[in-house]
Amino acid sequence: MFETIRLAKGVNVHVNETTQFKTINISIKFKDKLSKEKASARSILANVLQHSNEAYPSHTALRMVLDDLYGTSLYMDSSKRGNEHIVSLNVETVNDQYLSEEGVLEKVLNLMYLVLFKPNTEHGLFKESIFLREKNAVKERIESIFDDKTRYAQQRMMDLALPEHPASIPANGSIEAVEKITNEKLMEEYRTMIESNEVEIYAVGDVKPDMIADYIRDYFHFTDREKPVAAPSMELKKPAQQRVAEFEDMKQGKLHMAFFSPVTFRDEKFPVMQLLNGVFGGYAHSKLFVNIREKESMAYYVSSSYSSQFGLMFVLAGIDGKLEEKAVKLILEQLEEVKKGNITDVEFGQTKALLTNQLTEALDSARGQIDIYDQYMELTEDFEPDYLISRWNKITKEDIADAAKQLSLEMTYFLSGKESEIDA
Amino acid sequence: MHKVEFEQLDETLYHEKLENGLEVFILPKKGFSKTFATFTTKYGSIDNHFVPRGEKDAIKVPDGIAHFLEHKMFEKEEGDIFQQFSKQGASANAYTSFTRTAYLFSATGQINENIETLLDFVQEPYFTEQTVEKEKGIIAQEITMYDDQPDWRLYFGIIENMYKNHPVKIDIAGTVDSIQDITAEHLYTCYNTFYHPSNMVLFVVGAVDPDGMMKFIKENQDRKTFEDAQEIERIFPEEPLEVAVKERVLNMSVQKPKVFVGIKPEKMDLQGDEMLKHELAAELAFELLFGRTSDFYHHAYEKNWIDESYSFDYSLENGFGYAIIGSDTAEPETLAAEIKHTIANAVEKWPFGQADLDRMRRKKIGFFLRALNSPEYIANQFTRYTFNGMNLFDVVPTLEEIEVADLQAAFSLVSAESQQSVFTIVSPDKKEAQ
Repeated sequence: MFETIRLAKGVNVHVNETTQFKTINISIKFKDKLSKEKASARSILANVLQHSNEAYPSHTALRMVLDDLYGTSLYMDSSKRGNEHIVSLNVETVNDQYLSEEGVLEKVLNLMYLVLFKPNTEHGLFKESIFLREKNAVKERIESIFDDKTRYAQQRMMDLALPEHPASIPANGSIEAVEKITNEKLMEEYRTMIESNEVEIYAVGDVKPDMIADYIRDYFHFTDREKPVAAPSMELKKPAQQRVAEFEDMKQGKLHMAFFSPVTFRDEKFPVMQLLNGVFGGYAHSKLFVNIREKESMAYYVSSSYSSQFGLMFVLAGIDGKLEEKAVKLILEQLEEVKKGNITDVEFGQTKALLTNQLTEALDSARGQIDIYDQYMELTEDFEPDYLISRWNKITKEDIADAAKQLSLEMTYFLSGKESEIDA
Repeated sequence: MHKVEFEQLDETLYHEKLENGLEVFILPKKGFSKTFATFTTKYGSIDNHFVPRGEKDAIKVPDGIAHFLEHKMFEKEEGDIFQQFSKQGASANAYTSFTRTAYLFSATGQINENIETLLDFVQEPYFTEQTVEKEKGIIAQEITMYDDQPDWRLYFGIIENMYKNHPVKIDIAGTVDSIQDITAEHLYTCYNTFYHPSNMVLFVVGAVDPDGMMKFIKENQDRKTFEDAQEIERIFPEEPLEVAVKERVLNMSVQKPKVFVGIKPEKMDLQGDEMLKHELAAELAFELLFGRTSDFYHHAYEKNWIDESYSFDYSLENGFGYAIIGSDTAEPETLAAEIKHTIANAVEKWPFGQADLDRMRRKKIGFFLRALNSPEYIANQFTRYTFNGMNLFDVVPTLEEIEVADLQAAFSLVSAESQQSVFTIVSPDKKEAQ
């Protein structure tokens, strides 16, 4: 799918030359080890860099030039995977074959260069007003999770179950960590990102791999760099509490459960966990949906998900505040069924069919291609869908039951309305 | 079968209106593995007062029924339709909006089987009192989930402020109370009235052979018998131009106050080319006034009145519409006043010229070309355009024709003070603290 060109040690360009899309997508990903401090600093950094730069010193000036380039989208984001933190600069621009103008791609690449290498600075630091404003924006972004009760409940559970573990560190870090960041620290973090982070550059669209590689080699001047040595441990430790109930001013009850599994992304049995998740709760044909939503009419949503980086399985359900016990019992009963190997041929076949469909379908978008390739790069040099499909097809029901038996329920978290209101 | 080529866009659209009245559109996408299909009826939450098929007198049905009906279409005597799609490797779903109910799937194989399942399950209703009762618990949880979402409450709050009588002010899913009144008989009445093929559009986009697919669809439809197509009589109340409520505050636990300013447009009966031109011109005008390159945005950002949640949107359907602008903000009153002030200034002295229009036009053309990478966008938007007598692929040529005066004319319909309303959400505890 992608052709890879090495620009320097730890710096690679991956290009998929295709006419499937009317646009060209480019992503530059900077990878570092994950910590709350790094995550917070790098989230502010992403905001500061996409705000403006030396050539376009105001937000308005930068956005105007993007409008002029046929509404080219340009944004930076902050994400995490396992114990890595990733800052990405993403652009999508129209292939100028569809336009009455040429040379749009060169202009866009130049803009990417300005965003990364010519930040808006004064006296060797980021412009103070922009720094303060964006620092506040990241803080408020973290605070706003409270307004989305599903995300809030999940974050609370993770903080309680695995404090300070990479699994519970949000991609934006924490409010406390954001508050501690100074302009000097941010500048230091910026230099680290540009000079010593691993860099993966992706391009998808009707472009020549050499053209992209040459441009970046000639203008961006990325130098050799090493993978960080001491990455934080991802070992799962038993939580101090097994069950926590908390209350907020709300109507629905949010049930979140966390299970540990010894199988992670790097494990040979990883595809078994994907099938287990599908049979148990990943889809509308899964045991959780069919039994708890359709048979019991107890929930609108009830599903499981597998966080492969850490070996965690989550179950989420939105239920009446009084029905926690019943829901937990029913969910564990369904897991028991999987452990016993009570999986029908239909459930088994549907899950494989949908996993295959999901994977193939994700590759019909440029972003999907980049995300999947970037994720699987660690396991295989040239990812093709068959890498997973052929593995799924070799798995038996017994394999799934065995994987289910290795799951241990480590935390049940329930967020619901204030107790007095439930009784009323 | 009609074939329309859009050379500039490098797309070819195939179309046929079948004998039973169903409009079928097929758009092959080169290089794609998946096929995405939507089967949509022009029937949404606002259609709650109508003359049922075969009857003379109009009836009113309980709030939330179109959405309830959508849920119940998936359950059949032999089981759940999701199961069938899963067996065939397809991810299926459905949604109900103010004006449409859409059933859809995406799949990378067994496309004919999945198209057949889609057509058959939507065209073979099965409702019993027992299955209807069972669904009430599920939908009650769905409604409760939305009740806890402040952004959803904000959106419906501003619409409710703007509309006095029109059913757009009613939440799409209804309320926990209103859905208790729904019966299987109601569902059949609504189904028979609104799910006739002549009131529906099938759109198939992706890895598909147009000739084979059209033949397959026709054979499926020819096997079934339908009553004759009939004009559907829908009844909507008179709606004044002024908003129903000028200002309202909801107390709800939120991290930061939230505010929306809503503007109700004049002339909400536009359809076809006129609607397309007005919609695009109004969108360009609002983009210039409130977009990320506007003076307003710059000022509001500098003053810290808006944050990353800031948004603005213009939306128009037959009979209702709204512009909405707002953000999470520590200063809801100041922000609302500033938005209204910005509108008033533009009414008094129109601030934009040719260069502004050209820049926004380029931005919009780019956005549209980007969107054409998405089969989901094409199918959903094309259907919406068709139901309003417009063609999605006319967007670029229409954009190219628009002049500065058109922006000003469109804006003048969505700007008067009497058409504006403000809705705010603040935490009860935070209010006491002030």
